[in-house]
Amino acid sequence: MGQYLILAPVLLSFLILIIPERIRHSYVLILTLFIGILTSIPAVRLIFEPGTEKYILQGPFGQIDLLIDGLSGFFILVTNFTMLTGVLYSRGYLKIYEKKKNQAQFALHYFSFTWLHLSMLGVLMLRDGLSFLIAWELMAVSSFMLILFEAEKRATLKTAVNYLIQMHVGLVILVIAFLFCEATTGQMSFDVLQDYFLRNHNTGLFLLFFAGFAVKAGFIPFHTWLPEAHPAAPTHVSAVMSGVMIKMGIYGIIRVITYLQADFFLIGWIILVFSAISGLLGVMLAIVQHDMKKLLAYHSIENIGIIGMGIGLGTMGLGLHNPLLTLLGFTGGLLHVLNHSLFKSLLFYSTGTVYKVYHTRNIEQLGGVIHKLPHTAFLYLTGAIAICGIPPLNGFISEFLIYSGLIKGLSLGSAYQAITVILAIISLVLIGGLAIFCFTKVFGMVFLGTPRAKFEIPESGSNSGMLFPQYLIAMLIIIIGLFPMLFLRPLITFVSYQFHLTTVHELVPISGIFLKISMLSVILILLVFVVYMIHRFLILKRRVIYGPTWGCGYTAGSARQQYTGTSYADSFAELAHPVLQSKDEYNAIGEKDIFPLPRSFSRHPNDVFRFGLNKLLDFNMLILKKLARLQTGNIQHYILYAFIFILIIFTLLYLKIL
Amino acid sequence: MTVLFLSILTSVFFPGMIIRVKSLLSGRKGPGILQPWKNIWILLRKGSVISTTTSFISRIAPVIYLSTVLCAILLLPFPGIASFFGFDADFVFFAYLIALGKFLFILNALDTGSSFEGMGANREALYSLLAEPAFFILFGTLALLTGNTSMQGIFTNLQFDGASTYIIIIIAIYLLVQIAMIENSRMPVDDPKTHLELTMIHEVMILDHSGFDLALIQIGTTLKFAMYGILIANCTIPVDIGFGWQFLLFVGIQIGFAVLIGIMESFRARKKLAKNPQFIVTLSSIALIAFVLALLITFKMIP
Amino acid sequence: MSILLVIVFSITLIYLSITERFIIYAGLIGFQGLILFALSLLELQKITLGTLLFVAIETLVFKVIIVPYMLRRIIQKTGQTKVSEHALPGFYSLLFVTFGLLLSIIISLSLKTQLSTLVYFIVSFFTIYTGLFLIISHRKIFSHMVGFLVIENAVLLLSLAIGSEIPMLINIGILLDIFVSVLILGIFVMRLKQHTHELTLLKDD
Repeated sequence: MGQYLILAPVLLSFLILIIPERIRHSYVLILTLFIGILTSIPAVRLIFEPGTEKYILQGPFGQIDLLIDGLSGFFILVTNFTMLTGVLYSRGYLKIYEKKKNQAQFALHYFSFTWLHLSMLGVLMLRDGLSFLIAWELMAVSSFMLILFEAEKRATLKTAVNYLIQMHVGLVILVIAFLFCEATTGQMSFDVLQDYFLRNHNTGLFLLFFAGFAVKAGFIPFHTWLPEAHPAAPTHVSAVMSGVMIKMGIYGIIRVITYLQADFFLIGWIILVFSAISGLLGVMLAIVQHDMKKLLAYHSIENIGIIGMGIGLGTMGLGLHNPLLTLLGFTGGLLHVLNHSLFKSLLFYSTGTVYKVYHTRNIEQLGGVIHKLPHTAFLYLTGAIAICGIPPLNGFISEFLIYSGLIKGLSLGSAYQAITVILAIISLVLIGGLAIFCFTKVFGMVFLGTPRAKFEIPESGSNSGMLFPQYLIAMLIIIIGLFPMLFLRPLITFVSYQFHLTTVHELVPISGIFLKISMLSVILILLVFVVYMIHRFLILKRRVIYGPTWGCGYTAGSARQQYTGTSYADSFAELAHPVLQSKDEYNAIGEKDIFPLPRSFSRHPNDVFRFGLNKLLDFNMLILKKLARLQTGNIQHYILYAFIFILIIFTLLYLKIL
Repeated sequence: MTVLFLSILTSVFFPGMIIRVKSLLSGRKGPGILQPWKNIWILLRKGSVISTTTSFISRIAPVIYLSTVLCAILLLPFPGIASFFGFDADFVFFAYLIALGKFLFILNALDTGSSFEGMGANREALYSLLAEPAFFILFGTLALLTGNTSMQGIFTNLQFDGASTYIIIIIAIYLLVQIAMIENSRMPVDDPKTHLELTMIHEVMILDHSGFDLALIQIGTTLKFAMYGILIANCTIPVDIGFGWQFLLFVGIQIGFAVLIGIMESFRARKKLAKNPQFIVTLSSIALIAFVLALLITFKMIP
Repeated sequence: MSILLVIVFSITLIYLSITERFIIYAGLIGFQGLILFALSLLELQKITLGTLLFVAIETLVFKVIIVPYMLRRIIQKTGQTKVSEHALPGFYSLLFVTFGLLLSIIISLSLKTQLSTLVYFIVSFFTIYTGLFLIISHRKIFSHMVGFLVIENAVLLLSLAIGSEIPMLINIGILLDIFVSVLILGIFVMRLKQHTHELTLLKDD
């Protein structure tokens, strides 16, 4: 019976392809809800009462074991919630494409969406090597189909193929890692990693797994697919990819860490260094972008860096045998997984609404959106404050956990470790400051001020179908921010179980700390409310005049004289020029020019890693072109090649080399 | 509560004292010490001019700015009196709370759609971005030195034993004074007297505020000075003497702080705007030197 | 007390990396000389009084008085006052120098020295790094000379730290001082063409 319940969603998903258009969206919604509830019930149970549950599927290919434990359960809950909001949002968003796409394309899109959900759940629940890799591959293929929704644009096609190839590079690295494991232990599965790590060198295999999972997660230097794939995909797909799919890489890394037996400190240090670099470079590259979605994609890289720092810190804690450090590190990292999926999907949804109404994502052209779309502006503001890690919202809670761990880790260990920790603290502080810089820029340029180009806006704006999931997420963000202990208690329970820590006396000071944070956040909100009420009450009695912006005599300027995104980012981009390498296009005034002619200036952001990758590919093409001379098309030449090959083999055999 | 009262007391006299010192050093008599608050009182009773380009952000930003500063003051300890709300690693919460006020203040500036305010906004964002690491390295140093992580714990255990601790405390005071000057946009980063676009950071962001909003922002700014003053007092006042002596020392330190700011503003020229990031990063380097010293002390590598 | 002087020494190094005017270089070298003079009085306990006085007075005379005076003469004679050709802007110099501080700490910690001399090792390595960095990142020969003087200060600092055990080392350091000031600075002061705003033209050209 249980087996059929598990197989039912798989079979029901095929019905999406043939269901009539009127009820297709509701069918997908109900199916997603069904899958969600089905998997969330054991997940919730396992988070509150740690352990492992096994479900067995007997099939014609043999037995497949689905194992859920606290870690999988947590990621399952995150996945289900984000997919649900994605499906809710897609109803309103896909209306843009109603006239451009036919029914088969929509059906295929929803089918791929459901299969993305199912494959992600498969990744989380399968431990056997082969089935895990099959689910991983399904995830890559279904997201590839989803990105290709606008395949009529050549750029999208190119990006999607680039994405698929990079995912396969990650897959190859994972296959190699699993093969190593099989060569020594005879079995290809996660569970035998423990035996492997007991007897062999830990760091090498871990680095291999890390590289494979880092391609999916988006650590620098494996990140080059992220900033291209996210703008190319439709908004709800970007939200799901950024919110959940890249976390599958993080899940894989944590899963391998749970089996490690030695070298904890070194591995934690390596993860910390990679994450700090990813965080800093990600946010620095985000500051100079013009495209709203590309900017959010780079911020995903930054937040993956923050999550990685938490995980690295936790692993270092395992190495130092300090349970508090481990607890703070892993709890911070995992809570940031949840928080990031929430606020990143919220930011993507708001961006999608702006795109739907204005048909552009270029911040240099937008402006004053807050007057047309006030709800979207409020939701984007909530997401922006959350992503910068500012109290009283949820981003602060997870960053605070990582900060606490780092600060406590200052006095543990040797002087070298203290230097590493202070550098990590400096990176985290800079990441926070840069995020504030970036999001004040985006919010200011897009939503505030006046529009910098002419737009024809239909008066209807966004419909409530798109606002409902966003408000749902915003509510959750605020609840986690104000009452963090609700979410932290079960997290702490299953993290302690997973890493065999004693929880009792660690929990008490942590709950005390967060109680005070909650109190202060509530006091802050009450204060704001009280002062605002005083303000309104007093303003009512006074004279208020409305007029244009004074700005020290600005009134004659045009909207194009406002600060643009490039000018705002310029003060930082100047300092970070060696890293960012933005390209300027400017036809300067020549020496002989007397009469003023129209001039233009544009600045294009440049990703050094993408540039390096392109150079590598060009070099590759060069070599291949030279080798292509061997393909003459003449069959006599090919027979000659075969003859030479046989001659070489005989010579080698004769000399006993082979 | 004591801390709140002390900070309000300080903020009442502080800006007036700075202006008085600057005037006396220029050879004038200067306005009365309570003049800034008389200005605030006038502003509180005035009406407002609101720009049509602005949105709800401008309505809530000054309110949130003031509330975050008040909330941050609630976190501060005083020597011998623990803050009710203190907890481990609370200086992170303190710094980020101030960042919330700054975030909305910057958005408020961008809300008006004027390029002047945009200029001030991005400079403010950049300088606070560069000054944060110095603050965190400083508190990391003090946490490493004293073995506690909450502000209360740090300042209670900060003893003046040994020459090395003296040095760290002196560097800490220097850094706090400089960070206070940068955060409140005073010399040498910005000149509060000029209203020229090239020198404005804070002044330009409040160009379109008037009446009650402007009053709220000015109250917030004076409270921020008081906040840093209390932090400096925490570094220096010993814990075990009576509250009467502590209060006298506190008043002395605040007057000294105000006079110091007045002197620094009168005799220093504003730095070239392009050199400001360099100056702010210098603070982080000096903080790192203090950190290294604390490292050597903690791991017993100094005789 | 000596720790305070060493810390002030390292702060002068940070200032040295970002400053732009040659007069400030001269002033800072003099200030560093003053710190070394005070340190030599405080640290060298175990050698004879005569040697101690000789070292202290030599440091005072050469490093605090003669070298800054000669630097100021050069600035006055040639009219060059500013470091106007940086290879690196000031911001990056600061970042590199801060990185140098961390590097010197890591190197000194791994050397497993005696605890009493660890701080001196750190600051000496930092000073050598800063001096080398000054030479690499600046284009005018005046800055190269100042960089060399800074490296020489580093050598003297370290010899002060361990000089109680190796008195001969201090004497070698002093000789280096005298060599630099007389030979190189003398050549510079006497042989450069005056009032040319150039530092590379000799008198007779």
